[in-house]
Amino acid sequence: MRVALFVPCYIDQFYPQVAVASLELLEKLGCEVIVPTDQTCCGQPMANSGFASSTEGCDTNFTNNFAAFDYIVGPSGSCVLHLKEHHPSEKIRNSVYEICEFLTDVLKVTSLSAKFPHRVGLHQSCHGQRGLRLSSMTERNEKPFSKLEDLLGLVEGVEILKPERVDECCGFGGTFCVTEEAVSVKMGQDRIKEHDANAVEYIVGADTSCLMHMEGILRRQGSNIQVKHIVELLNHE
Amino acid sequence: MSSHAEASEKFIADAERTDWHDETLWFVREKRDKAAMVLREWEALREHASQIKDHTLANLHQYLIAFEAKAQANGIHVHWAADAAEHNAIVHQIIAEQGSKVLVKSKSMLTEECHLNDYLAKKGIEVVDTDLGERIVQFRKEAPSHIVLPAIHLKKEDVGETFHQHLGTPKGNKDPQFLTEAARQHLRGHFLASEVAITGVNFAIAETGEFVVCTNEGNADMGAHLAKVHIACMGIEKIIPKREDLAVFLRLLARSATGQLITTYSSHFHKPREGQEMHIVLLDNGRTRQLADPKYKNSLKCIRCAACFNTCPVYRRSGGHSYHQPVAGPIGSILAPNIDKKANADLPFASTLCGSCSNVCPVKINIHEQLWFWRQDLMTAGLAPVGKTIGMKLMAFTLAHPAIYRIGGLLLRRFAPLLNSRLNPWYKQREMPVAPKESFQEWYKKR
Amino acid sequence: MSAREQILGKMEALEQVNHPGDFKGASEDFDFKAALEAVGARVLTAEALEIEFPGRRRYEKTMDGLSLAEVEVLEIDGEFGVAENGAIWLTEEAMPHRVAPFICQHLVINVSKIVPNMHAAYEELKKPSSSFGLFLAGPSKTADIEQSLVIGAHGARSLTVVIRA
Repeated sequence: MRVALFVPCYIDQFYPQVAVASLELLEKLGCEVIVPTDQTCCGQPMANSGFASSTEGCDTNFTNNFAAFDYIVGPSGSCVLHLKEHHPSEKIRNSVYEICEFLTDVLKVTSLSAKFPHRVGLHQSCHGQRGLRLSSMTERNEKPFSKLEDLLGLVEGVEILKPERVDECCGFGGTFCVTEEAVSVKMGQDRIKEHDANAVEYIVGADTSCLMHMEGILRRQGSNIQVKHIVELLNHE
Repeated sequence: MSSHAEASEKFIADAERTDWHDETLWFVREKRDKAAMVLREWEALREHASQIKDHTLANLHQYLIAFEAKAQANGIHVHWAADAAEHNAIVHQIIAEQGSKVLVKSKSMLTEECHLNDYLAKKGIEVVDTDLGERIVQFRKEAPSHIVLPAIHLKKEDVGETFHQHLGTPKGNKDPQFLTEAARQHLRGHFLASEVAITGVNFAIAETGEFVVCTNEGNADMGAHLAKVHIACMGIEKIIPKREDLAVFLRLLARSATGQLITTYSSHFHKPREGQEMHIVLLDNGRTRQLADPKYKNSLKCIRCAACFNTCPVYRRSGGHSYHQPVAGPIGSILAPNIDKKANADLPFASTLCGSCSNVCPVKINIHEQLWFWRQDLMTAGLAPVGKTIGMKLMAFTLAHPAIYRIGGLLLRRFAPLLNSRLNPWYKQREMPVAPKESFQEWYKKR
Repeated sequence: MSAREQILGKMEALEQVNHPGDFKGASEDFDFKAALEAVGARVLTAEALEIEFPGRRRYEKTMDGLSLAEVEVLEIDGEFGVAENGAIWLTEEAMPHRVAPFICQHLVINVSKIVPNMHAAYEELKKPSSSFGLFLAGPSKTADIEQSLVIGAHGARSLTVVIRA
């Protein structure tokens, strides 16, 4: 299966290990992975700030890099949701997948050779959860399901612990993290407090933006808790 | 006037009180969850309610006319007000004809929207708000901070102090039972004396010309049934087609609002009491503008349950007053810009777009999507803060040009330590991410 | 142009959306007594009622609501109860005055017919209706002071229900 790897801009610049793990994992699972080298960004930072009218250049660049692929896979729920909802090209909208979604729904992965014997706090990123339906949400009267937990269940030794408020937002919210800094940080601190109460070693989720925000708070607090993107666990030897 | 961000920062400065406010409202969300999860048909009810409202809004013209005709045939005077000023003038006129100087009013967010109390005060008419929460904030000269729980931002000590000052209850007494009894006696006096009563309207039925008012306290009825004149104030979007549609809405309303099965009283006003004058004022005040805009039309489905407030992680940690206008929270953030774009341009940005609100909404308003649409409309209208437009255009340019993006990224990583400064809002309470030696693309090139 | 014309004139024909019709598939397995208790009402037998409120009387229809201001115990007959939420439908005809169930201190309601849910309730209400009616569920209450539930706000302080055969 021929797959193009979509590398979100902030992962490219600050969390390359997440893209490396995505690439390696997809290859391990038998995909031929192409990485378009002129890709930049999905356009979400501008669009969510009210400047969707300015994303044409960014959108065109995305199309130029990815139009030839039927499967565009990226390790970011919020970026993929944005592309699915707002990218002008119908082909692109129908071809993007968040990586957990791709592993569960397309590759239908049933086993992994990964090991990660640690206590892991599960963070439900909002856009992946409520937007891409990666997991059920507590707001709705629906049968529980979780693509994230299904995948983590394939990793040897992982102990999943859930915070008390299983799907409350971490407070990153894009530029919200600086325009409403006080609320953003309070929300992040509250999430962390609940993971702390579970004595987790790692906080894991499918969106590096959430993790980056919580990591910033954790390190300022001098905490030992680290953050990892779920794909790093799925790819962990 | 402080922006939401400025007001929130002050609110959060008292971290302990913020936690208390957050936990109190989260508890209400949990009560809603319990009630919703017990009904296996919950999601089907939401869908049904949403469709009834969609249908009604698509046919609002015909339903309003039908309602008016039926209500008039039942002896109710029907008035139309294009905006808040007209609404207030109509209400005043009715009161003036009666000659009352004091009157009772039960909860009506619409009258808050129109600033009716202030208007009447200037005309020498005192309005006594009879909902307990509203009376408390009225004494304190504050606005309600929540559309269902107006005094949720106050602790019992605060209420005790307010009642000590205004009702003469013993200083230091903060027992809710005792304080409620004091309010009961005090307001009972007003109910028995008031010749005019103003109420809101929860639902108005086009088929029968009746309207329904829901309360737990009984204050709307205590006022209306003793008054010579009952004035009901209603937004044009409160219409629903048929009586049996009420089954769907009454099953959803209280469960969504507080987790109760139903409000204590759901009073159906069909005809005036014998000898009584009953008036209903239908208000537009920008609702037709929203109706005409496909992006925002759905906001008119709102039944004012405040489930969205209780679930919103931002509202819980910033308080209703941070939204600086009568209806706070997520729904307020998509209604207020329609009333005044400039004053309320900050509100659609007071959100992480987490989507929780849309999923607790009993009538399936796509609140988080409308927040996104408002962001576009407000920025296009030129209401961006200074520097934001420039910053965004710069970002857009960079991200449209791969080579510039790569250089920009390299510089950002190289000079990242410079961002470890108090001038950087991120850095105030968070460490910056550590800049790796190579970007992914740089690593991949070598692979 | 009047406000009425102005407002109606702004409503262009919108894309048609059908009314979804009657709601189907509502739950019916509710316990009326449990719901009454959940809304703060208590259930007594007819015999226990006599012991609880021995001196009570019925009140005549009146045009003067204020004349009922000193009523301690008011007993009225409800048309039917709703099992899903403990609500009882009361009509103006069954009360001395519209304000009666609110202005009294303690309310007693007799009810015999019970319907399962609100949909069934509105089926009952399809016939020509009273000038005023209400669903009454329990005594008046408020949680406006720091979310502490207080029974007895402005309406009746207590509700006693007798389920008559």
